[in-house]
Amino acid sequence: MSPVVTGIAGIGLLLLFFLLRMPVAFAMAFVGVAGFAYLSDPGPALSLLAQDIFEQFSSYPLTVIPMFILMGTFAFASGISRRLFDTTYTWVGQLRGGLTMATVLACAGFAAICGSTAATAATMGKIALPEMKKHNYDNALATGTVAAAGTLGIIIPPSTILIVYGILTEESIGKLFVAGVLPGLLLSLFYAATVVLLCLRNPGLGPPGAPTNWREKLRATTGIIEAVLLFLLTIGGLFLGWFSPTQAGAIGAGGALLIGLGRRQLSWQKFFEAGKDGLRTSCMVLFIITGAVIFGHFMAISTIPFVLADWIGQLPMPPMGVMGVIIFIYFIGGFFMDSMALIVVTIPIFFPVVMKLGFDPIWFGVIVVLVAEMGVITPPVGVNVFVIKGIAPDIPLHIIFRGIFPFLGALIILTVLLMIFPGIATFLPSLVSY
Amino acid sequence: MSALEKLERFNRRLSDWFEWIGLAGLLMMMIVTCIDVIGAKLFLVPVFGAIDIVMLSQVVAISFAAASALILGRHVSVEFFVVMLPRRVRALIDIIIHLLGLALFILIIWRLCVYGYLLQTGGEETATARIPLSPFAYSIAIASIPVCLVFLLEFLNSIVRVVKR
Repeated sequence: MSPVVTGIAGIGLLLLFFLLRMPVAFAMAFVGVAGFAYLSDPGPALSLLAQDIFEQFSSYPLTVIPMFILMGTFAFASGISRRLFDTTYTWVGQLRGGLTMATVLACAGFAAICGSTAATAATMGKIALPEMKKHNYDNALATGTVAAAGTLGIIIPPSTILIVYGILTEESIGKLFVAGVLPGLLLSLFYAATVVLLCLRNPGLGPPGAPTNWREKLRATTGIIEAVLLFLLTIGGLFLGWFSPTQAGAIGAGGALLIGLGRRQLSWQKFFEAGKDGLRTSCMVLFIITGAVIFGHFMAISTIPFVLADWIGQLPMPPMGVMGVIIFIYFIGGFFMDSMALIVVTIPIFFPVVMKLGFDPIWFGVIVVLVAEMGVITPPVGVNVFVIKGIAPDIPLHIIFRGIFPFLGALIILTVLLMIFPGIATFLPSLVSY
Repeated sequence: MSALEKLERFNRRLSDWFEWIGLAGLLMMMIVTCIDVIGAKLFLVPVFGAIDIVMLSQVVAISFAAASALILGRHVSVEFFVVMLPRRVRALIDIIIHLLGLALFILIIWRLCVYGYLLQTGGEETATARIPLSPFAYSIAIASIPVCLVFLLEFLNSIVRVVKR
């Protein structure tokens, strides 16, 4: 078999292993080693296996991932999420659908200190869903909002997926972070607008809460000061060049820990649980990256990415048409694969094509993350939906999915806007040098 | 208690202990980085070899958490297809997948021992603090043993599920 045919067979085998429920990281490593051994020799392939594992696990650039993940889990354990929700509820709770809007805003706030979509959805779901139930909110609106707003976790910096994208493509993590700010804020606005429109059409979906006066509002605002400070210290410090990405994450994790201690929210049990949770997530992400690196070596030796880039470059199709096809592949892929795995598997194949077509790599990163976000809330493997189902087991899955569709519309509109106006993602990165 | 259950209990305990080692590695990464930043920015005294310590702590953190993450189902996999299949077919698929996983991690242990030996004989060290690298390659190999045991247990359990009906 020629290298290209072997590469295609390898991709087919990888998809088969995915379908058979083999963990994504191990499937990529297995196919990568087998394919490399077939195309070169078993000796170098096995040597590469050990070398890749050791080099990835001991990679300093990758240390940014565990640090930002730890920051998110410590922030949750420190009760920051609860205070964010209380603050946003005090401000907008008296409006129709106010609790759901408060959830969206609190998710946006929590996303600014946590880079995981499932963690954001789980955190806010535990706080907001019981409140919405108490206030007779429509189940579809309540669960759909939390699942969708959780996706803000991977677009508003710090974002685990943007970090992984940056590492895979060797793009600046600082620029990727800042590129996610405007789309993240716009998406928050779109989600809030979706709630307003839904409640205007059917006021019974989200009854208004008790009104609050300015004194209460201002007092509640003190609850988010620590979250704002933590965000400014870590992300601000990163942009100002005070910290490297790893240092920013570690300072953020340490800061979240101190907030928890200062607020007397953090018991030893909570501390260890949060640490172990962060460790397991970090382990999963680093294994996926390592698997992708091994698989990437096989792809490189098969020459598929280069052949594909050449072939697409010669297609009688405008670059934006090709981009549309790539986005569609991500959209469909998101239905079946975890967003992190999807990006890690496909970036080594599509990134050379995107570069050849002359697209901005930072803009592409944001687009890819946005489209991957859709996969997080769409059937059959919408991770956030299952997270919400776990928190509210009495609400059927189809109700949660029904509640998500309006928010999916908001995500699609933002993606189209980003394609028409790339400046939404590229303007801020052009201002920073890091 | 069957032999399989005994093995499972032993492996769970081993994985738990390994996870504590991993957690120590992760916290070490955070603490060393924070001390390094504060020391360097405020007192102009950075931690000597901080980068070396952090990257080697990551080796410990990630490798020693692998078995626990696997037991708790934290490694991402695509679930939607297999859950639609009959139980017996699912068990048959599990036999294949766990066997492949076992084979992969046996290869990983073997090759990391070889790689560690190469690092050891070559006297490879980190750039700044001159910490020997070979113990860390060996540590990944050791940390992969409970991962193999998880796959072996799941493989045997899947066979039992097929045979038992």
